[in-house]
Parts: sequence; C-alpha cells; structure tokens
Amino acid sequence: MMADRPSSRSSFLRAFLDALRAVAGDKGVLMLLIGAPVLYGFFYPWFYSLEVVQRVPVAVVQQDGSGLARQMLRFAEASPRIEVVLTTGDEAEAQQALLRGEVMGYALLPPDLKRDVVRTQKVVVPVYANGAYPLVAKQVQYGFAEAVGTVSAGIELRRLGAAGQSRLQAASSRSPINLQMEALFNPTEGYGSFVVAAVAVLILQQTLLMGGALLVGTWRERGEAAAPVRIWLARLLALCALGWLSGLYYFGWMFVWHDFPRGGNPLGALLLLAVFVPAVAGLGVLLGWWFANRERAMQVLLFTSIPLAFLGGFSWPAEALPTILQWLRWLSPSTAAIQASLRLNQMGAPAQAAAFHLSVLLALALASWLAVLWVGRRRAGAGTAGHIGRPD
Amino acid sequence: MTNPMLASMRRDGRLLRGRPWDLAMITWVPLLAVMLLAWMFSAGLPHRLPVAVWDQDHSSLSRQLVRMLEATPGLAVRAQVLNASEAQWELQSMASYAVVQIPPGFAQDVKRGRAADVVLMHNAQLSTHSSLIQRDVRQVVGTLSAGVEMQARAKRGDPRQALAVRMEPVRTSLVSLFNISTNYEQFLAAALIPALLHILGMTAGAWSVGRELRDHTLGEWMDEAANGPPNGQPDGKRHGRPAGAATVLGALAGKLALPWLSLTLCGLLALLWLTVGRGWVVAGSFSWVGLALAALVAVSLAMGALLAALTLSLRTALSGAGLLSAPAFAFSGVGFPLLGMPASARGWAVSMPYTHYARLQLEQFQMGAPIVQSLPTLCSLVLATLVLMLLATAGVMRGLRRPDKWGGR
Repeated sequence: MMADRPSSRSSFLRAFLDALRAVAGDKGVLMLLIGAPVLYGFFYPWFYSLEVVQRVPVAVVQQDGSGLARQMLRFAEASPRIEVVLTTGDEAEAQQALLRGEVMGYALLPPDLKRDVVRTQKVVVPVYANGAYPLVAKQVQYGFAEAVGTVSAGIELRRLGAAGQSRLQAASSRSPINLQMEALFNPTEGYGSFVVAAVAVLILQQTLLMGGALLVGTWRERGEAAAPVRIWLARLLALCALGWLSGLYYFGWMFVWHDFPRGGNPLGALLLLAVFVPAVAGLGVLLGWWFANRERAMQVLLFTSIPLAFLGGFSWPAEALPTILQWLRWLSPSTAAIQASLRLNQMGAPAQAAAFHLSVLLALALASWLAVLWVGRRRAGAGTAGHIGRPD
Repeated sequence: MTNPMLASMRRDGRLLRGRPWDLAMITWVPLLAVMLLAWMFSAGLPHRLPVAVWDQDHSSLSRQLVRMLEATPGLAVRAQVLNASEAQWELQSMASYAVVQIPPGFAQDVKRGRAADVVLMHNAQLSTHSSLIQRDVRQVVGTLSAGVEMQARAKRGDPRQALAVRMEPVRTSLVSLFNISTNYEQFLAAALIPALLHILGMTAGAWSVGRELRDHTLGEWMDEAANGPPNGQPDGKRHGRPAGAATVLGALAGKLALPWLSLTLCGLLALLWLTVGRGWVVAGSFSWVGLALAALVAVSLAMGALLAALTLSLRTALSGAGLLSAPAFAFSGVGFPLLGMPASARGWAVSMPYTHYARLQLEQFQMGAPIVQSLPTLCSLVLATLVLMLLATAGVMRGLRRPDKWGGR
C-alpha cells in the first residue's frame, strides 16, 4: 500500500525500471523506439542531401544563325540552373527528347530573331518546360528567362542610350519598380531543409506510436496489461524517456549534422518535446490497448504517414484543406508538433508563437493519459488470468 | 485433384470473414484512405494565403500596390505591420507566410525616375506556400511597374503602339507542358493515391503470409492448398500430397488474389474519380495506367509476401514493408527530381517499383506519351512480380521445413 512515501517512491522507480526492462527485452519495441529513428535519421536526408536541383538537362532549338542567337545560347550554357545537352535546328528532335525524359525542357530561338529585333518587331522566345515536374520546370523557365532577359536588357539599354538617356536613367526607366526577394529561415531554399525538418517530427510520432502500441498490445495478448495507476505512470514515463531521447537526437544531432535550419529557440524545442512525446506515448498505449494484438498497430498505422504529412500544413497549405479537415487534423499530435517545431526550431520564434500548438499537445497528452489510467485500471477481483487477448 | 490457388483463396475468404480487422485493412480502410486523399486536395490550388504588408511610404502609389495585392486571389492581406519587430512576429508566428515591405521614399523614387524597390520577405521554410506567394507578388509588382513605365514613356512622347515592344525587345513566353492547369489536385492526389496503395499492398502481403507464420498455421495452409478444405475429414487422414513448389506458388497466388483485387479496385475507383469524375482529360491512356496500377499492387503484395517468407516473422516483415514502402513517394522523383539526388540515393530510388509507376502515370496522365514508351515499365513491373513470387515460394518452402521457426513474433 501507499503507506509511507519513501517506499512508494522506490517502488515507482522499480516499476519504471521494470517497464524499461520490458522495452529492452522486446526486440520489436526496441527496433521501433531506437533502431527506426536512428536509421531514418540517416536514410531520409540522404535523398535530398544536394538540396537543390542544378544543371537540369535542356535543349535549345536554334533556328536563327545570328550572333544574337549565339549570345543567348552562351548565356543559357552559363546558367547554373540548366545544362544545354542538345542543340538542334529541328524542334521535333527536342520534343522527342522531352517525351523520352532526356531533357526537361527546351527554348526555341525562332528564325529571323536578329532581323526582327533590329526592326523593333515583337520577338518571343518560347520556353517549353515539363510541368509534370514543377521543381524542375521552375529551373528550366528561370534559367532561360534569365539568359534571354539579360540579352534583351542589353538591347534595350543600348536603344535607350541611343535615345539620349544616361545609363543609370536608362536602367531605371526600363524597370521602374523592382521586387527584391528575401528568403527567410531557409535561405538556400533547400528541399531537404524544407521536407526533412518537418518529416522528422512525423517519424518521431509514428515510431513511438507503433512501439508503444506493440508493447501494450503484447501485454494485452498475454493478459498482463491491466495495472494500477502507479504502474501505468511508470510505463508511460518509460516510453516517454525513449521518445525524448529520439527527440533530442533529431532536434539536436540530426538537424546539426545535415545543416538544416535549427536551434532558433532551443528551450522552446525542449518544451515542445516535453508535451509532444507524452501525447504520442499516451495515444500509442491506447491504440495498443484497443488492438490487443502485438502486430496490429504496425499494420494499421504504416499507411497513415502519407495523409498525416499532408495534413501537417508544411508541404501543403492548410488553407487549402476542406474546413472539417482543418479541425480534425489537430487530433494527430504530429499536426501541432510540426507547426510548433517549425516555429521554435526553424524560425526561432518565442514560445508564445507556439502557445496554441503546445496547448493542443498538452490537452492530447492529458486526455490520453487519463484514458489510459481509466481503461487500463486493474478491476477489483480480476486477476491477470482473467484477461486473454482477443483472437483477432 | 485440388487447385491450390482456388483452395487457398477459399481458405482466405473463410478466414477473412472471421477477422474483421484483416478484412478492413484490404477493403474499407483503403477505400476511406483514398477518399480522404482525394478530399484533401479537392480545393485544387491553394488561394488566399495570408501575407502582411509593411507600408513605410504611405503614398497613393503604395496604397495602390496594397490594393492590387488584396485583389489577387492567391493572396490575403492579413495585416498591416508598423515596424520591424511586428513584421518579425508575423513571420515567426507564421500568421503570415510573407511580408511585403514598401520602403520609405518609394513613390518619390518612382516619380524622380529612380528605380524603386519592393521587398518580399517570404518564409522559405514553407516551400510550397512561399513559391505560390512569390509568383503572385512578382506578377503584381510587374504589372505596377509596367504601368508606371508606360505612363513615363507616354509623357516622353513614345508612340503608344510601340511601347510594349520597346520595353522588352525579346520576351520569353513560358509554356508549362503537360500540367497546364498546374492543378495540384490532379498532380498530388493522383500521385499519392497509388503511393498509398503501394504501402497498403506491401503491408497486406506481409500480413497475410506473416500471419500464417505467427499463428503456426503455415503447414495447415499448405495442406489445405494441396488437399482441399479440412471439413469433414478427421485429422489423421490429412496427409495427402506434400506441398511442392507449384502448390506453394499457387497457394501464395491464391492468398494474395483477394487483396490484389480489392486494392486494385480501390485505386481504379479513386483514379477514375480524379479524372473522369472531375472532368479532367487524360492526355494518354487511362486503361494503361489502370493496368500499371494493377501491376504495382501485385508487385507490392509480392514484396510483402517475400519479406514475410524471408524473415519468417510477421513483425520484422512489417518493419521492412514500412521501410521500403512508406518513403517510396518521397523518393520517387515526383516532388524532388531524381536528377537532384546523389548517385547512390538515385540507385535506391530507381530500384523501387513505385518510382517507375509514378513515371508511367505522369507519362500517361499528363504528358500523353505514346504507349510504346510506357510498355517497358509495365513489363518490368509484371516481371518483378513473377520473380518476387518465385523467391517468396522458395522462402515459404524453406519455412515449411522449419516448423521450429513458426510463431516468431
């Protein structure tokens, strides 16, 4: 009984160590809680380690042999965004190469390019890019637009100069208002920094959910799950301890190792882990209790990472989701945690910028822990023998 | 003479009726999941993304710019900020995804013929949001700038007709082929639904074979495949033909047949809805995509079955299925192109079946490529399924000889 406090504290410690031992003794749980986060920490960023797409293969269809057209080709060849792998006079050849995937786009330098420019007639250089790959198409379009734009600006400055304007005046009357872009938080606009920083949170959630559910599902099968409050708290805390370790590994080591935007508000990030991990652990235990089956949680949860990633509001703007989903998405801790992590880790915002998200996580944690304590309580008179896992 | 495939199918049909979760994971759960995805992207392109304006100029020109931003459907001017710290808060709290700063002296610079700057501070950590905002703001500023220039030149007496040509002697016209509407629903949902079925297929393959191992019923399953259902026959008499390779292969095919039919049907319905149902014209051949989808589901199931047969453990097989299938979309080149990956990572990406399926689907849905070009992809998916099934057969036969390994969790 809970007669004297020192002994109850030491028995809590014993229960905590027992739970840790149960985790350590189960290869499946260990793989999910330790192995998978470590593995994914290397695996996921590997694909995006170059961060940006450079030197996209393109073709130039040159139907004009003038010096102006050759100048445009040289500027295109100099662009780091694109790499001219095919120069041809035949548009059909470029189209074929595009369909075969050998080039991702091409520019058509039309016949009489130079003549029309001299006559101040309208000259258009069409740039065709494979829009089925948006990231690549953007590079193709910008690469060619910059090359052609540079040549075009040169022509216009010469014209304005001929009309009697000074160079400076000419430059500003050509384009009176300019837009300066400042990329904040992810200055290189790297793809890995954008995807992995958010997906890391989802990986933390999915591995801890499955690991917790696997552990409790196994106990349920064996009829060992029901326990008094003290034991449950110790078990939840043991799961949290491992979750916190992986969380620190991601926010600390992985973000640093791959040089992702990070470290904006380290204390805030710790606060996030302090509420996020318990929410996930609680939900994992509940799932395990409900499934009462060792492997079921993995079967059911594996596919959910895809919809959860797109509900997280980082790769797909939440503004574009149907209204009901904008509400329902908060039921998964990953949504609030991704949003909070972006603010605290990548944007370096003060904790109050994530107050709403941290409160959502705290509410999920409290609700799930209370539910665990209630459904998992050992009923009077019901021994361990009374519980037999459901056959399905 | 019992047909092992039919016998195995009958057995699984019977078992599924008594196992609601197993049935759910190949029927209504996948259906709900693909419906969820279609629903998530049903709004198409996101619009009214919140931005803040930091107007330090307070001129009629700056107000005109703000009105133009407000009138852009892709943007919503959420707030006017007054100083740098307010702008920082807007961005850091992600209340706005970008701040448009109009510096002091903006209108005066324009009036005096000096180049004036508008600054767009955008949250590049949110790549999709920020590229949409960049596109819209660039367009607005371009329109405003062109208007100012036209006025200035008209004042200087340039003939109006020649204005456009003089301003930009050579223009690029950007033609985005194959995804002309740049409709994200078509693009993302159509690519994600097969990716989801890939995961569900591999999970189902690992589950249905792995469960026979976990439940110690591998022998029972093969016995039933070889000799027919057990009903009515006493146990002692059930030592008919031992399971040969052909029987095991048939039994595997029969076991995977029901999930294959069901998941393929789910995917076809979802893709039909996204295209025909939403009035989108498929550039190439829908039926070709349908065939490839059936092959993708088959290869996923076979991979799952092989994982279970190799590891002889349901749990390990599921872990493997997760590792191989869950990130398949992320590494398929649909979001981040293959040519931007390091060679080793690209090697992994091109050895995953979903990568090839995704390419085929783009070719047929968006690019309208000739069928000949997609033929090798379909053939290799089918071939891969056959090879994986043969390997899984060998694995199951090894498992049959090792009853001591059954029941591993």
